[in-house]
Amino acid sequence: MLNLRSASKKLLRWELFLVVLLILEIYIFGVINPRFLMPRVLLGSVNNFMTISIVATFVTFVLVTGGIDIQSGAIVGLTSITIGILWNDFGFSLSIAIVISLLIGIACGALSGFFVAYADVQPMVVTLGGSFLYSGIALLLTNFSSTEAYKGISGFPTSYTSFVRNRFFGIIPSQLIILIVIVIFAYVLLHKTKYGRYVFLCGVNRQAASFCGVRTKLIVMSTYVLSGLGAAVAGIFLTAYLGTAKSDLGKEITLPVITAVVLGGTSNLGGTGGVIGTALAALVIGILRFGLSLANVNTQYLDIPVGILLVLSVALRFSATNPHIQKIFAKLRGKRATSLNN
Amino acid sequence: MRKRLNIPRATTAIIFLILMYGGVGLFNPSFLEINNILLSLNSGVVYTVVAIGIAFVIITGEIDVSVGAILGLTSTISGIMVRDGHTALAFIAPLIVGTLIGVVNGFGVNYLQIPSIIMTLGTNGIVRGLIYVYTEGKWVENLPFAFKQLCQIKFLDTFTFFYLFALFLMLLICILMAKTRRGQYFRAVGDNPDGANLLGIPVKGTKMVAFILSGLFSSIGGIMYASRVGFITPIAGMGYEMKVIAACVLGGISLSGGVGSMVGATVGAAIMASLSRVLVFLGFPSDYDNTITGILLILIVVSDSLIHRNSAERMRKQRLAAKVIHPEPSTERV
Amino acid sequence: MKERSENTLLSVRSITKAFGLNKVLKGIDLDLDKGDVLALIGGNGAGKSTLMKIIMGIYHQDEGDIYISGDLINMSKPSVALSHAIYLVPQEPMLFPNMSVKENVMMGFKENPQKLEKRLVALMKQLNWQIDISRKADSLSIAEQQLVEILRGLLRNARILILDEPTSSLTFNEVKSLFSIIEEFKKKGIGIIYITHRLNEVFTIANRVAIMRDGIITLEGPVQQFDYDMLVKGLLPDEVTQKSFIKEHEKHIEYDTLQPVLQVKDLCGNGFHDVSFEIYPGEILGLAGVVGAGRTELATTIFGRDTISHGTVSLHGKDITGCSTRKVMDQGLNYVPEDRFMHGIFSILDVGSNTTSSKLRNMSKVFLKKRKERDIALHYIDLFSTKVTGTDQRMGSLSGGNQQKVVIARALATEPTVLILDEPTRGIDAGARGDVYAIIQQLKSLGLAILLISSDFEEVSELSDRALSMHLGRINREFAKGEITQDNLMAAAFGVTNGRAMNA
Repeated sequence: MLNLRSASKKLLRWELFLVVLLILEIYIFGVINPRFLMPRVLLGSVNNFMTISIVATFVTFVLVTGGIDIQSGAIVGLTSITIGILWNDFGFSLSIAIVISLLIGIACGALSGFFVAYADVQPMVVTLGGSFLYSGIALLLTNFSSTEAYKGISGFPTSYTSFVRNRFFGIIPSQLIILIVIVIFAYVLLHKTKYGRYVFLCGVNRQAASFCGVRTKLIVMSTYVLSGLGAAVAGIFLTAYLGTAKSDLGKEITLPVITAVVLGGTSNLGGTGGVIGTALAALVIGILRFGLSLANVNTQYLDIPVGILLVLSVALRFSATNPHIQKIFAKLRGKRATSLNN
Repeated sequence: MRKRLNIPRATTAIIFLILMYGGVGLFNPSFLEINNILLSLNSGVVYTVVAIGIAFVIITGEIDVSVGAILGLTSTISGIMVRDGHTALAFIAPLIVGTLIGVVNGFGVNYLQIPSIIMTLGTNGIVRGLIYVYTEGKWVENLPFAFKQLCQIKFLDTFTFFYLFALFLMLLICILMAKTRRGQYFRAVGDNPDGANLLGIPVKGTKMVAFILSGLFSSIGGIMYASRVGFITPIAGMGYEMKVIAACVLGGISLSGGVGSMVGATVGAAIMASLSRVLVFLGFPSDYDNTITGILLILIVVSDSLIHRNSAERMRKQRLAAKVIHPEPSTERV
Repeated sequence: MKERSENTLLSVRSITKAFGLNKVLKGIDLDLDKGDVLALIGGNGAGKSTLMKIIMGIYHQDEGDIYISGDLINMSKPSVALSHAIYLVPQEPMLFPNMSVKENVMMGFKENPQKLEKRLVALMKQLNWQIDISRKADSLSIAEQQLVEILRGLLRNARILILDEPTSSLTFNEVKSLFSIIEEFKKKGIGIIYITHRLNEVFTIANRVAIMRDGIITLEGPVQQFDYDMLVKGLLPDEVTQKSFIKEHEKHIEYDTLQPVLQVKDLCGNGFHDVSFEIYPGEILGLAGVVGAGRTELATTIFGRDTISHGTVSLHGKDITGCSTRKVMDQGLNYVPEDRFMHGIFSILDVGSNTTSSKLRNMSKVFLKKRKERDIALHYIDLFSTKVTGTDQRMGSLSGGNQQKVVIARALATEPTVLILDEPTRGIDAGARGDVYAIIQQLKSLGLAILLISSDFEEVSELSDRALSMHLGRINREFAKGEITQDNLMAAAFGVTNGRAMNA
């Protein structure tokens, strides 16, 4: 079965490392606080990092093309307040409000993507501007509401909120199911479709892709559209889960999102990476934070271990492939530090 | 051959700044009152200092998103020191801490080969957490009045000493970067690191210095911040990194490195600082800040890119056309 | 090997270097004396540039020693080399794009800037190289950039100067003036290592020559002891007989019975003007010229990558003027890019993905067909005898020749009727070159029409059924079968007709 062998070759050691890390975390936290291991609790933790996971999954597409997207947080908030305003103050039905907010997410992504792909502007700067713009618009939109901005719009019908807070068999949160579905969709899209291959081609060598007849500008722009869509989806679910629509819901997710994508193995230079890695990394980060909070670590301190984890794991990955360090290890082991022995 | 229009990008930013003031002034003449202009510029001193610091890193082709966190931590330290009566330490300790964090960033990027976006993302998280550990989540208040007054001291009733200090730093750095050999290394390293290496320029060392300076300047900004705001919350400086990156970009510094100057960073910071005041004077509530900043940033960056691309395309066509011989050659055809 | 004497500026002994599993240098010994111009020749991949980078401290050798004037030196970084007055003018210009020419040249010098500028201006005058030194480096052509790199080297007061293919983009006159400076340096006792592909330059400027092949020095000695044939023989691995591939598939083309498959009429675009030609099925049309004549611009414009201002292109009678790359490929024309590294390969992807990247559009609707991809890739690996460990081998780890085979396979996978090959054997060692020639002959026998763009006059003369030469953006001569000789091609490419040079 040639397929299986090459598949396991492709299952990069990095993803395995993340899985090991995950198991380690669960074990350690389980020891510290046995309540952690209760299925209801462990699985329920997904609610805390659902937003980051969904956004990171689609931001992965952008990073594969060698770009970066830091406007997702703003789009999350924009989507949320749009739903709130449309439903609460303009009398739209909830379903229509949701559809419109998805379209807005797509539009935001498309605008920035257009500038990146067709005007050749650096992604970091465009999405930086986008993050200002979309969060600004979200804030302005609150003026249309009768509710004060800081309070947020609530009172959503239970049909909207309860599904998201539901648990199957009393244990498995529906958010987990939703997340798994989204990750599978993104995985298939990026790794099993023609489109996904185009995304990789554009990321590895855009010029060469263009010589192959790939519509590189369109593909690059589409990754930003996907990322905007992902942020909108995350915003919809977050609003449902919290039961409140606020314009600044996604304020602090940008850095954790990029952390998850990079920790997941996607290089910010483009051409490598994957959805599975991102999903695993988001899981690792989420479980880390959740476990620590359950171990009574103040939530504000949680960024420290995440930051350390990020730096250490990337340093580890680079050192493992660095020939200098390999030589040092070889010397320590007393062998001749040459590569002629291969 | 026609000389290329070689306006340094900082100049475009200055023109924009002047136009912005002029435009608003037309709408609301009181904006152009000297006091107001001075107030706007003085209020941007922290942005300015931090922007200059991060400019070093960006010019060498890297990025530093931990400057906001460093600002927060160092202003916290400064505030606590001065509150508890250790006046000298209030100025020295933050500088040391900021420099140390810069060293850590530089080490990770240069010797552990960690991409700068990731390394500084990591230190950003860690430092943010450290602020909470240090303050136990509490605000730093009750700073002595004299300290808080520092930011108000003006020179002949015009610019504050703080701002003059910032301008002095900018000038000093500009001269050093333009005239000294080592000063030019920053641009060289950002423009073509392999080419710089070939010429014996210490690429890693230069980037290391850039990160150290970034941390140092953020800590200077932190001290100023403590004085200006008068109290420090654990989320002080949050989002600053994005604002100063925007300031640098507005000032003509390219994120890919090798292009730009400290003058540009200063002008960009002035633009960012003036923006909210501009909006107020135009009758916009502060709610519009982010939106306008976003539109501005995108507009400037897109038009800059389009102009650059157009001229590059024109030149390409010229170059190719120059290679084609035009009087009909006598050809031998079989 | 020469004895080291007090005149020896540079000595390397037993230098080895491997990149991963790829052993590039397998034990190099070399000496350079004062006033030597040592020509170092060898095929691509022989290791010349790697050796030079080791001497310059950019790379570090795995084993072996470097001696400067008799002292053992640890070349850990370029600044060490620079402090020993060694300077490398790189093959590809490595200027600072956003700095002016002046800043570029003066960067890194410890000298007084005004004095340095005066020296620069004086040197440029002596060479008669006219470049506006206030221009930004990214506005320079490749040739101009190369001139600037050479200027940097000449100003350096180096005792050991390494020139890595300095003339690849230069005009006759520029080369002449460079050589006169080199003669001056010789007299001053400066040692020069001169890497080149142009064998005639070896006899013009060098006093010693060393031939590198596959990581070792095969022949070495004073230039008088060699002639052209010996050099060529020293470059090739022993088994390959150069001409074997050529004459096997000699098929006479009955032009009278054939309709042209590609017709280009009065085509004008960026870099070329008034180009007209036809290609017939089953023929190889060679397009000769010097670098910069406009051939690649012509090809890429036909391929839909640049605008056409006048003229038409028709494929099988259908007008494809100004069509996008996708459309042109759909109609049956494909193009193998000149620069394999920048525009051809997806280095971190596997061979399978690389082979199918052009065909992907037509292979399936939505989902990837991995098995079909593998089959297609295997088919071409088999057909071309590409040396790979499997379709999942990383493209970047293949040798240049094998990479080229994959790129050609990619173009073929779209089943074109016209194939444009742009410098298909550049940067490929002699063995793989023979394979590529065989492939080209195979394609011809399958009925493909091939436009062969090449700066290698021997290649064009051996392979082409008919030929064109392009000079300064125009077709200046057509050749029928019997007229294609290296001399004719070269003359036309340099704009020389009837024994007189005609030039702008």
